[in-house]
Amino acid sequence: MALEALEEYYDLDDILSSNEKIPCKIEMPIYRLGYLDSSSIYDDLLPGSKMELPYWMARSLCSRKRHMVSVELPKNYRESYREILTADATVVDLHKLGPYYYSFGTHLLKYELPDSPDVAKILVKAFQTRFRKVMDSSQNAYNEDTSKLTEKLDESERLLFKAGQLGLNDFIRWETRQTEKLTTSDMVKNHRKRKRAIMEDTG
Amino acid sequence: MDPSEVEFLAEKEMITVVPNFTLDTIYLIGGDIGPFTAGMPMEVPLWMAVNLKQRQKARIRPPEWMDVEKLQEKKQEETDSKFFTEMPCKHYMELTQLLLKYAIDDIPHADETRTLIKDIWDLRMAKLRSSVDTFVKSDATHAKLLHLTLMELNTVRPFLTKALDQLHVLRTNISGGVELTQE
Repeated sequence: MALEALEEYYDLDDILSSNEKIPCKIEMPIYRLGYLDSSSIYDDLLPGSKMELPYWMARSLCSRKRHMVSVELPKNYRESYREILTADATVVDLHKLGPYYYSFGTHLLKYELPDSPDVAKILVKAFQTRFRKVMDSSQNAYNEDTSKLTEKLDESERLLFKAGQLGLNDFIRWETRQTEKLTTSDMVKNHRKRKRAIMEDTG
Repeated sequence: MDPSEVEFLAEKEMITVVPNFTLDTIYLIGGDIGPFTAGMPMEVPLWMAVNLKQRQKARIRPPEWMDVEKLQEKKQEETDSKFFTEMPCKHYMELTQLLLKYAIDDIPHADETRTLIKDIWDLRMAKLRSSVDTFVKSDATHAKLLHLTLMELNTVRPFLTKALDQLHVLRTNISGGVELTQE
């Protein structure tokens, strides 16, 4: 799988984003798994019944070789939501639309649904529009509570925000000459704490 | 890169000092320095200048550009120009920072200098941010920026590289630059 080579196999965010649910329609009877669909009274999963499956499972059940389920586009990526993003992406709460909006969106493209090209375009467009806001807020918020600034950001945008904060904080620490002060390394500090905890336990 | 590493690189800049002692040439890995003659201005690397100053062995002569009038001109030029202008020294921020910290009595109008340098820095950072934004919004794959200094670049580096990585992934989705296979 060529595209998957791009993703980090051990990347936790990537694993989590592949756990998002996709609406699926069962195409052939699947025996003895009726209990997966709580609204069904049968032992088997019948063709035509609808259920939500995580991406990683749907991916192996729906491919060119195997067609046990058919996949629909989740509603957060359908046209009405795409229109909202086109109108003004900066005010949209992407974290609510799926904390991994961009990377889950990227996963969805592999199904080659009719809407895929539009989804791909809107993802880039939304990222470009929201970029300025993420950059400015991350480079200007020094020493303040950032939870308000990041609450509407998608997980990947939060990573960006963190990187921006890192640059800013490093610079300010240098500018105020805090970098040249010698301090105890965190490892030594924690080691002492742990040691004390052990001693208190035994004593 | 940590800003203090950038500062370390900046400490190689040469600066004029007036020593108050006499000493033969000293031989260092980075090159020979000296001979020192009391009262005679000479060029030494910044790190040595700071060290001599701290031990009160020398006076530092601020570089030519570190002058209120020249900096005001520079600031005006920076405001008027759409692009980055060439700075008189590629480590202007680090140099000012160090000199104002250790040799503040050798610099005339220290406070004004500090404010002006900070103003120029802020102007340039604002410019840098808007050009990064324009770059990300455009569909260009590369951009050329002249006259940026290392410290300026360093503050946006972690952010910019991550942002471009993500943008690249999203862009390959559209162009299908990577072949989609279901096998």
